[in-house]
Amino acid sequence: MDELLIEGPLTELANRFGNITPHIRYPETEDEVAMILQEANKNGKKLAIVSGGTKLGYGGIKPNYDFTLSLKKLTGIVEHTAGDMTVTVKPGTTMQNLQQFLKQHNQMVPLDPAHSSASTIGGVVSANESGPKRLKYGAARDHVIGMRIVYPDGKIIRTGGKVVKNVAGYDMNKLFIGAMGTLGVITEITLKLRPLPKHSSTVTLSVQEDALNDLKSFIIRIQDSTIEPVSLELINPTLSKSLFHKDEYHLIIALEDVKKAVLFQEDWIDENKPTEAMMNVLEQPEDFWTRFNELTPNSQNDFHDTTSGVMKVGTANMGVFPLLQECDRLNLEGNVQILAHAGVGHGLSTIIVSGQPENVVQWIRYIQAFSEEYGGYGIVKHLPFELREQLEVWGQQKGSFSLMRGIKQKIDPKNTLNEQRFIGGI
Amino acid sequence: MVLLSRRKKATIDPDILALSKIVGTKSILHHKEDLLSYDCDGFTIHKAMPKAVIFPKNTEEVSAAVKYCASHNIPFLARGAGTGLSGGAIPLNNEVIISLVKMKNLLSVDYENRKAVVQPGFVNLKLTNSISHKGYYYAPDPSSQYVCTIGGNVAENAGGAHCLKYGVTTNHILGLEVVLPDGEVIEISPNGVLDTPGYDILGILTGSEGTLGIVTKITVRILKNPESKKTVLAYFDRVEDGSHAVSDIISAGIIPAALEMMDQTAIEGVEAGAFPVGHPPDIEALLLIEVDGITEGIAEQIEQILTVCENHHVRDVKVARDEEERGRWWANRKTGFGAMGAISPDYLVQDGVIPRSKLPEVLKEIRNISKEYNLRIANIFHAGDGNLHPLILFDSRIEGETEKALLAGTACLKACADAGGSITGEHGVGIEKKEEMRFIFSDEELEAQTSIRDVFNPHNLLNQGKLFPTPSRCMDIKKVVNETSLTKST
Repeated sequence: MDELLIEGPLTELANRFGNITPHIRYPETEDEVAMILQEANKNGKKLAIVSGGTKLGYGGIKPNYDFTLSLKKLTGIVEHTAGDMTVTVKPGTTMQNLQQFLKQHNQMVPLDPAHSSASTIGGVVSANESGPKRLKYGAARDHVIGMRIVYPDGKIIRTGGKVVKNVAGYDMNKLFIGAMGTLGVITEITLKLRPLPKHSSTVTLSVQEDALNDLKSFIIRIQDSTIEPVSLELINPTLSKSLFHKDEYHLIIALEDVKKAVLFQEDWIDENKPTEAMMNVLEQPEDFWTRFNELTPNSQNDFHDTTSGVMKVGTANMGVFPLLQECDRLNLEGNVQILAHAGVGHGLSTIIVSGQPENVVQWIRYIQAFSEEYGGYGIVKHLPFELREQLEVWGQQKGSFSLMRGIKQKIDPKNTLNEQRFIGGI
Repeated sequence: MVLLSRRKKATIDPDILALSKIVGTKSILHHKEDLLSYDCDGFTIHKAMPKAVIFPKNTEEVSAAVKYCASHNIPFLARGAGTGLSGGAIPLNNEVIISLVKMKNLLSVDYENRKAVVQPGFVNLKLTNSISHKGYYYAPDPSSQYVCTIGGNVAENAGGAHCLKYGVTTNHILGLEVVLPDGEVIEISPNGVLDTPGYDILGILTGSEGTLGIVTKITVRILKNPESKKTVLAYFDRVEDGSHAVSDIISAGIIPAALEMMDQTAIEGVEAGAFPVGHPPDIEALLLIEVDGITEGIAEQIEQILTVCENHHVRDVKVARDEEERGRWWANRKTGFGAMGAISPDYLVQDGVIPRSKLPEVLKEIRNISKEYNLRIANIFHAGDGNLHPLILFDSRIEGETEKALLAGTACLKACADAGGSITGEHGVGIEKKEEMRFIFSDEELEAQTSIRDVFNPHNLLNQGKLFPTPSRCMDIKKVVNETSLTKST
């Protein structure tokens, strides 16, 4: 178990984004994690937990921790039984490595969160991340069936199991998925798998803003029809410009099925699309999705002079239309640039706000309020530390917050893990 | 349901008076003869009498009743249709039962945003029936779906035959209104928006078997009906061939909407039951396989399934000709538990889960258990996700046979746990499998779970004595009444 003190870039990273310290420990086994936690907990030390390091700008308002525990050396596949369609993996494994391993067996974890080459399954599960394919496949919370967790006091707890259907006891997995590392350190994750699609295709439809309502009606028709898109991602004109060199709204429809069924769906879209819409079947869909996957800045690559904030906004499915239109109105105001894409079938949008720091903060706050007015929420997934301090990055606390605080107090009474990283300072 | 309209006599019990004031005198039962049918749920081995049963009409009444019970230290629990198979709604501590059957409305349907809001007493199948004219349905389909309530489904995280492809209840719940054990009402994602910031309270409440709170409003995801469904029935001379066919279908990259299996004893039962379809009596296993999706893609998958079956020496395999035939095959399967009443005076349903690849060896182990205890065991199960339902057939009139059946059931669960599985896939722990929790969880892991209960339910007045093992085992064995009458009631 190495104990490293790195100066230089790491200090810069810590200063810019927080949630990491120059002093990092790299346990190589679960037992080592348990030892580190037990000792830290006993001595009242405060730890930051990091895995791939892409989410240092996500939550967290505590300026410093005693040291960082990195999961970088807890990597690899623990168990994979192809016939059971389950895999057990260590948290530091990158999404890309996990998917590449499974691909050899014609299987996949049906999750497509951003930055798959750098983000790890541990981080993805801790933030309950998902991508455009959530429409069909769901999120981390729908695929994780079991975990091993080191509690803040060092005890090792198994949650769930290794079978795909299981209701024995409380569904404890759910507590740790999306908990931002505030309740325990994940040392093993078992996931349900899906077969790789036999055929896939990506269709884009582009319309100008005045035809956006027709596109909306078309999406409602898709939902009421028999076709089964894997994603329905709406792209605002500013982002379309960088992706497609065209200043229009784009709807990206991904299709996965046996070939005949995919081709049938392409035809259906062609026959039923709004008259104003331009349709394009992408020739290299994989290249497109790879580019799409790297759209947002993260704490590993964001050292630009311009400040960028990334938001995750949740609304009702159709609520993404007023949201994206509002983003475009803000683009016209001129002092920030807003790139946005939104999952029409699931209501989760990603919004990148770039510009001068004070303007970024101002418009993030505005979009948060706008989302809340529409019955949703807006959280900040990526922003430098000093700007996070000026915002409620997790938005408003709701009625169940006292339960959340109670859970944190029960599991981590000494606030050993990722203190103040999550909603309401838990 | 008979309510208390014929008795006007005042009672001396102040709790009954107070609760009557909250829900109205017509919405409370407290005389012994009225309470008898609330002494158990679908798990009939254990019985206990409630203090009273109340039928609140809205969230405010639930909250007021809970506040009263909490402040007077009266144990209480929530009950839906009472179809639970693990005893989760049995009033072990003379509870006040809060029955949610009067809160049975569909509050809203929002097709554009694919969600519906229901009250907890709304019956599962009614939701699908209410939205099917628009081509939509609600996915979780427990066998009791024509009578069980969505509130109960949330408590148990109910599954069903079609959850192989579409997931269980927890994957379809978008928001909840909950009365906490102190009476406070909280709303979690009331608009059904995904990923509300904070810990996943929805996720921990779903499947908590009524020990963390009482659900009073539920926002669920609704799905569009698949364009086509095709159902295949395959007969195998050897159970091993059936098991291997299951694995090969999944390995071929097909996720059937359902993949069900029955063994010879189960077939004998369903053929003697209310919905026989003429399965041959001398086969060891049958598979019921359903594929759904876009019409253009179905034929190819059916071809693959037929090939897999033929590779495994299938005796006969056929595709349902029409919806009528498909419906008959499913009625035969879905009433399978109750049908055992036709071939055995009593039966006990178990609910183990195993990794799919262990199917042949665990089935073999169950045959050994059957021999060892000298009791017939029928197997009806969701083979696709490894969820076994061994049905232990016995006769409670024979001295000691009930105890033997319980032991055989425990042995089946042990076999599942030893194969790396779980002791329950969809029926819940309740009181039935409390002790068996030790097969899969350590003391520390059980304590980790009860400490979460303490956050929600610190005085443990809500549904006490469920889900977690007690230090000493004490089982009051009573007669098993089979559920045939219930299952045939449609």
